[in-house]
Amino acid sequence: MESYNTLNQEIIDELRAVSDHVLVGSAINPDYAKDEMPIYGTHMPDLVVQAHSTQEVSDVMKVCYKHSIPVTARGAGTGLAGGAVPIFGGVILDISPMNHLLGYDLENFVVNVEAGVLLKDLQDDCITKGLMYPPDPGMKYACLGGNVATNAGGMRAVKYGTTRDYVRAMTVVLANGEITHFGATVSKTSSGYSLLNLMIGSEGTLGIITELTLKIIPAPKATASIIVPFKDLKTALSAVPKFKMAHLDPQAIEFMETDIVDMTERFIGRSVFPKQCNGEDIHSYLLITLDGSSDEDLDEQIDQFSKVCFDNQAMEVFIAETPSQISNAWAARSAFYEAITDEIKMLDECDVVIPVNKIAEFIPFVNEIGAELGLDITCYGHAGDGNIHIYQCSNTMSPEEFEERNNKFFDVIYAKAVEYGGEVSGEHGIGNAKMKYLEESIGKTNVDLMEGIKRVFDPKMILNPGKVCHRL
Amino acid sequence: MNMNICVCIKQVPDTNRIKIDPVTNTLVRKGVPSIINPFDTYAVEMAAKLKEEYGGKVVVISMGPPQASKALKVCLSVGADEAYLISDRAFGGSDTLATGYILAGAIKKIEELEDLKFDLIFCGKQAIDGDTAQVGPQIAEQLGLAQATYALDVSCTNDHTIVKREVDGGYDTVLVQTPAVVTVVHTDQMPRYATYSTRSEAKKKQVHVLSSAELSELDLAQCGLSGSPTRVVNTYTPSVQKLGIMIEGSSTTELVDKLVGILDDKRLL
Amino acid sequence: MMNTDIWIYIETENGKALNVGYELINAARPIAAQKNSKIVALVVGKNILKAAQDAIGYGADSAIILDADEYASYSTDAYAEAITYLINKYDPETMMFGATTNGRDMAPRIACRVSTGLTADCTDIGIDEASGCVRWTRPTFGGNLMADIICPERRPQMGTVRPGVFRKAEFDPTRKGNIIDETANIHIDPEHIRTKLLEHVDVVAEAVNLEDADVIVAGGRGIGSVDNIHLLEELADVTGGTVACSRPVAEAGWMNHNRQVGQSGKTVSPSVYFAIGISGAVQHTAGMQGSGTIIAINSDPEAPIFDIADYGIVGDLNAIVPALTKKLKERKL
Repeated sequence: MESYNTLNQEIIDELRAVSDHVLVGSAINPDYAKDEMPIYGTHMPDLVVQAHSTQEVSDVMKVCYKHSIPVTARGAGTGLAGGAVPIFGGVILDISPMNHLLGYDLENFVVNVEAGVLLKDLQDDCITKGLMYPPDPGMKYACLGGNVATNAGGMRAVKYGTTRDYVRAMTVVLANGEITHFGATVSKTSSGYSLLNLMIGSEGTLGIITELTLKIIPAPKATASIIVPFKDLKTALSAVPKFKMAHLDPQAIEFMETDIVDMTERFIGRSVFPKQCNGEDIHSYLLITLDGSSDEDLDEQIDQFSKVCFDNQAMEVFIAETPSQISNAWAARSAFYEAITDEIKMLDECDVVIPVNKIAEFIPFVNEIGAELGLDITCYGHAGDGNIHIYQCSNTMSPEEFEERNNKFFDVIYAKAVEYGGEVSGEHGIGNAKMKYLEESIGKTNVDLMEGIKRVFDPKMILNPGKVCHRL
Repeated sequence: MNMNICVCIKQVPDTNRIKIDPVTNTLVRKGVPSIINPFDTYAVEMAAKLKEEYGGKVVVISMGPPQASKALKVCLSVGADEAYLISDRAFGGSDTLATGYILAGAIKKIEELEDLKFDLIFCGKQAIDGDTAQVGPQIAEQLGLAQATYALDVSCTNDHTIVKREVDGGYDTVLVQTPAVVTVVHTDQMPRYATYSTRSEAKKKQVHVLSSAELSELDLAQCGLSGSPTRVVNTYTPSVQKLGIMIEGSSTTELVDKLVGILDDKRLL
Repeated sequence: MMNTDIWIYIETENGKALNVGYELINAARPIAAQKNSKIVALVVGKNILKAAQDAIGYGADSAIILDADEYASYSTDAYAEAITYLINKYDPETMMFGATTNGRDMAPRIACRVSTGLTADCTDIGIDEASGCVRWTRPTFGGNLMADIICPERRPQMGTVRPGVFRKAEFDPTRKGNIIDETANIHIDPEHIRTKLLEHVDVVAEAVNLEDADVIVAGGRGIGSVDNIHLLEELADVTGGTVACSRPVAEAGWMNHNRQVGQSGKTVSPSVYFAIGISGAVQHTAGMQGSGTIIAINSDPEAPIFDIADYGIVGDLNAIVPALTKKLKERKL
């Protein structure tokens, strides 16, 4: 077991000597104790540094390394697995002030950003230039550094891939304060181990990302979304693999049932999805975005997608063509999580990823187990890539009872996901919340390898201790 | 019963996405999508609903450059039966008076071409670029029709239309003689989505273009710049700089007095 | 001989004048002074003599009234016909209406009927140096672009002006002016009135409407507890504002989520936004940075809200907010 020191006045003074942005005591905003899933635990840091430069991060790390002080990197704090919660106290290195977009290199089709740039700001800026940064995780007010540290996924992954596919290079501050660079502005490489890829998804346990070089692509010329109602979820999900089989390449395919749609419409205060179709009740939807290289191409795409939908028992195909209809449909989808957290008192989440062709069997199984355990289950997610968000909800149980049943639920569901060839987390990460399930799913050997690698990067194990693979 | 309805729409830049270039102090329009004026989408939806209830024909028209055809086409998939683009260089630069004149002339021509009489003419309350809310009433004046502005709901009897009109503090229920011009604020339901079949049907239709040649009865002196009594002499972007003034004082009273002084001075409240 | 009069339409309801007419009289005074013009108040309604007399007290030089049953409640046709008759008879140079629901209903109709130019929803007026005409200033593109407009040739030059932009003058009961009653000279054929008011329904706004609010009083975590919400409510009362909050307040249950402003709440753009005890995290500011004037009150001098505020006070909101409310109440009386 590592031993860490606690801060004393001397160390605080050393930190103040290298940073103008040090907060202690009551000046620390209570939000630093948690992320977006406080159910996984909260813990205040002893000190916060709001870093404005790579050098500042480096200088702070030197002090912390010298004194064996635990350090937790943090962006916007929007994580869903407890990854940014400083469970050992110590120092939070908040890189969100490093929010400058450094510049585009259009010859190489990349953009350079500081790690604190918000996803939304980069996405919006790209659009004004006719470009697109494809990764589109649900939380738009997250920092890109955090996105990379969790290999954030999102709704466009089915066509464009995840954050990993768009990171070309990064500047990293190591545990001992050394500044180094991984990757290069190239499309392919076979130049030693990929330290870049190790960092992606490492959730602040191997180093602190301060700058990124990200790949961008030209923005699609035309986009439309279709809302496809089905009589039930199984039918909707069975249609999903058929699109790729028909050689179609949707930008996003999301599935949802009417329960979450109703909850969200109550939350946002307006109706966005049709509830009935030709006199029949709708129970489930696929929400699909297609893009095309031109209006004619998009037209053709809409025709082809519609054919697959109707061939697979869609009740109708509603087409959202105008920017406001498209953004309304997706705004509703983006509000699902908040709608749930607004209405539900006890809540936990399971973001398994399984092969696409298994979803149609998996969801009914999930609902069954939930019912057996007395938990209300709401599912929705990225049907196109098999990453499902399962929410275990209760407004009636006591916290203790909820925890007990919830743990049973996790055990069964994660085991089933692994049985189907899936994994524990599609995009939210392991943090400290899912460590037990990580080991159960990938095995001790692999977790030992991970922990071993961490020791090489961070011999004193001060970076985000107790997370991902650092077993205590 | 049959209600024939003409809906006037306008293609506008999405002003919610418009930003101001801090260096040149001009509008950045690049990357800002063109959309159907939101109030107009409600007008189309209202017309579509009335058609479902009473039968009749919905014709959508727009005065604009050739690319406005795209907006008209979308309307054909959400309830409109025919679409007309009123487009000519001679119409460019029209203020609301000239626009009202041209649209009124076009409406009369379309009644001839379609061999029908419009019972209702819908406009959105205002266009989100010009923000004047004047064209609807001016079309009504040109055509000599009754008008009802700020409509939230419309229902019809054989010779009357009943309009629920938004006013301060609530609404008025007004009886309006048909034919009439109605400007629409919004409908209860969101504008409907196109379906695969309505879209396929719409694709088969053409947007008819009416230029000054087809609208030969129009007096060109009353169109475009020459037909526009108002003239824009200057445009500028309002200052977006935040003042960042910290109010100093040694007591609560002093701070509050200073703040209230500013609120008064700048007529902020 | 061209009449140089400036006519101000004084809108009335149940015999009582709306403020906007009196505001416009005052707005017109500098123009009248420079052009040596007279300001004439035009009052249409039922039992509106006093409103006309008051108009003179508020700065009009004279008034013209139409006082009859057919004008008791507003109708486009009656008002447009009557006012057009008067315009044709008197030939004023300039005419202004308040940009109210009815003002914006009838002004374009009248402008079209007399074939002149109308500028809508102005936020400022003045004189265009080059032409000597009235310069009308108005927001376009949702407020992103201001335009200065003139009507160089046709007369009258017409505009609707936004209520609340100008202040009415101090009332002077000693002012005297002619009041011309034109009622007998106009007979509106009832057949010409094609609309009929069936009923008026007052709606008590159940739903919290932040998006249309002109003034918002928003509280953040710095409020401290649900017991302090009343501080915001009292300030909102005296300013005619709507109470709102940032996310931590909604999460803590101190206010309903439907009052939340920010990325996961509503986006608002009031003329005045009070940010009280709000730190100014980007998730919140994303929802309100389009506000006209942002006034921030926070005990933390480093709070990022001060970076986007127009006016900031570093201090204890528990002292400042009630004092502000009290002072504003006193001013009102």
